[in-house]
Amino acid sequence: MSAVPILEVQDVTMRFGGLVANERVSLAVRPGEIFAVIGPNGAGKTTLFNAITGIYEPTEGDVLFEGRPIRREWRNADRLRGLAVGMAGAAAAVLALNASALWDAAINARYVMGEPFGWWGMAGAGREVLGAAGLWLTWFPAAVGFAIGRLGFRAIWNAQRRTPDLVARAGIARTFQNIRLFGEMNLVENVLVGMDQHFRSGFFACLLRTPGFRRERDRMRRRAFELLKFVELADAAAEPARSLPYGHQRRLEIARALATRPRLILLDEPAAGMNPAESADLMRLIRRIRESGTTVVLIEHDMKVVMGISDRIAVLQYGKKIAEGTPEAIRSDPVCIAAYLGTEELG
Amino acid sequence: MSAARRNPLVPWLGIAALAAWPLVEPYLPAWMHLGEPLTEVFVYAILGLGLNILTGFTGLLNLGVAAFAAIGAYTYSIATCEIYPFQLGFWPGLAVTAAAGALAGFLLGAPTLRVRGDYLAIVTLGFGEIVKDVLVNLDTITKGTQGINPVPPPSLLGTALEARGQYWLLLAFVVATFAGARALERSRVGRAWISIREDELASRAMGIRPDHAKMLAFAACASLAALSGALLVSRLSSSGEPSNYGFELSIVALCIIIVGGIGSVRGTLLGAVVMVGMNSIVLVRLSEALNSSGADAVQAGEPPAGIGAVWHFLRTWVQNVFLSPTNWKFLLFGLALILMMIFRPQGILPPLAVHEDPPEDEPGAPGAGQGARP
Repeated sequence: MSAVPILEVQDVTMRFGGLVANERVSLAVRPGEIFAVIGPNGAGKTTLFNAITGIYEPTEGDVLFEGRPIRREWRNADRLRGLAVGMAGAAAAVLALNASALWDAAINARYVMGEPFGWWGMAGAGREVLGAAGLWLTWFPAAVGFAIGRLGFRAIWNAQRRTPDLVARAGIARTFQNIRLFGEMNLVENVLVGMDQHFRSGFFACLLRTPGFRRERDRMRRRAFELLKFVELADAAAEPARSLPYGHQRRLEIARALATRPRLILLDEPAAGMNPAESADLMRLIRRIRESGTTVVLIEHDMKVVMGISDRIAVLQYGKKIAEGTPEAIRSDPVCIAAYLGTEELG
Repeated sequence: MSAARRNPLVPWLGIAALAAWPLVEPYLPAWMHLGEPLTEVFVYAILGLGLNILTGFTGLLNLGVAAFAAIGAYTYSIATCEIYPFQLGFWPGLAVTAAAGALAGFLLGAPTLRVRGDYLAIVTLGFGEIVKDVLVNLDTITKGTQGINPVPPPSLLGTALEARGQYWLLLAFVVATFAGARALERSRVGRAWISIREDELASRAMGIRPDHAKMLAFAACASLAALSGALLVSRLSSSGEPSNYGFELSIVALCIIIVGGIGSVRGTLLGAVVMVGMNSIVLVRLSEALNSSGADAVQAGEPPAGIGAVWHFLRTWVQNVFLSPTNWKFLLFGLALILMMIFRPQGILPPLAVHEDPPEDEPGAPGAGQGARP
């Protein structure tokens, strides 16, 4: 058992106005395990997933992935970008006030049709105009424009330090409770969207269909097809996703999530709407995912699935964690039985 | 849908037919001389293909695409016209125009990344009006409502192209734009765009960066729209006045992609043919026919007969603007939109459902049969 948990949720509280969806929830998921989160409807399980994957920012508490928070760092590139936006703001402010005068002095006044134009004189003429315009039309608006651009850039950057795409790129993939496939795309394309971060070809390579682009496309297609085989959907590869039966759509979501090559995958009710045979298939699939080296955290209501595959289980109720332990321990925990499991189901 | 996909000959036959048209035209009766209006269709097709990238693929409703066309038209005019010192040629002028368009796309795209749906539509609508007003009022640079002229015509290898050459050049531009849009649609770039349209949150959760993708879509759209503006200007040899690039042009571009099938590259071409063709071919021909009907008889001093009589009467006594079919344009555009919404909301040629085939050497590829699943 590794010392560093792959996912550590530390005292996460999610508050929406007066509603407390999660209250000081802490979890530690070990690498390579299958961890289940269960609890009655409205217990805050999906909210917790959303907080982990960056859809919500936890009101309080931290989410650590492999011992570190997933958070954008302020790098030199960001510093440069901020400066560029600030400069653009300054230039826009000055130009907005002086464009006509500048153009007049640099071009209209100096160009006689048909005669050669002195390009070097433009800068001098421009400087003269700005000099004559005075502080209030030059340096002052420039400073204001710069400040707006630079501070605005920082504000937007601050608001996006932990976005879902960053979390996905860091190695956490997820599926959704209410399936969110790209219905108009076929199965291969859905998986290819998940693989996007592993593509190297840029805009112009795609536009011109360079040989490198074609090689990469073929390689990625084959890999996407292999993932479809992994979830046993290869036969339907060319069909649009919306035409798939419900249970298959859930498996396609898993394939799309796996396409990001995650080290941790979060499955939100993967067995919902499945018949017993399908959920048995699903249990096999989840075990195979774990065998391939990906840690699994799942939310599930189907107790057969939960008890059958989980290494450990956490129980949430009214946003709080009320128990955590092995399936055997949870099954016999009187608190869990009272809160969620009930007596008959245990049979 | 699959027929056009399976038969790669169809687009080539279409291109060949269009390319051969100017050679055949002189032997046809005058009312079939379509070269001139067809070049207009080509320009609008490029505008539509640009808008289709932003609104069709990425799902960002843009009601101000005319602003990008205006920026392109004026950039090209200023860069090439002899009343300014820059005086670039046709091709360098186009390059500058495309770059300026992309920059304009970035500048509009960056602050609107977090604005969606109706709100984005309002922002772009406002942008379109602002650009138009700036062009009118910044008359030291843009010559205001006068417009900039003369703008040099398209040229190739140093020789200015006459009507037929311009036709072929524009056709080549349309084919290249079409191929580029298709290539993007079937690559990671287009997939990212379409995934954002389908479900932005899900695509984010799969590691797509919507900010990058949207900026790219804005830049590509604006660049193509600017290019179409420049081509329009170079064909007319004048920038025209700024009001030519108003809301009406944006709506025409939107009609083109809605009628053709929003998000569909082929559909956009068809939309351009239908909408612009209706405006500058059908209505113009109808106008000519109606105006000349009965004219011979009147000149001969006889009372005109049949429909000519009716039209002659209306023209002489009623004198309404709607008597000229060319004024029916927006009436018909509106009607076309309403009919499309009722009977075929996905457009005449909706986008192909499938852009990416499974690898061909695998079972399960199309045609290998949708066999029983285990």
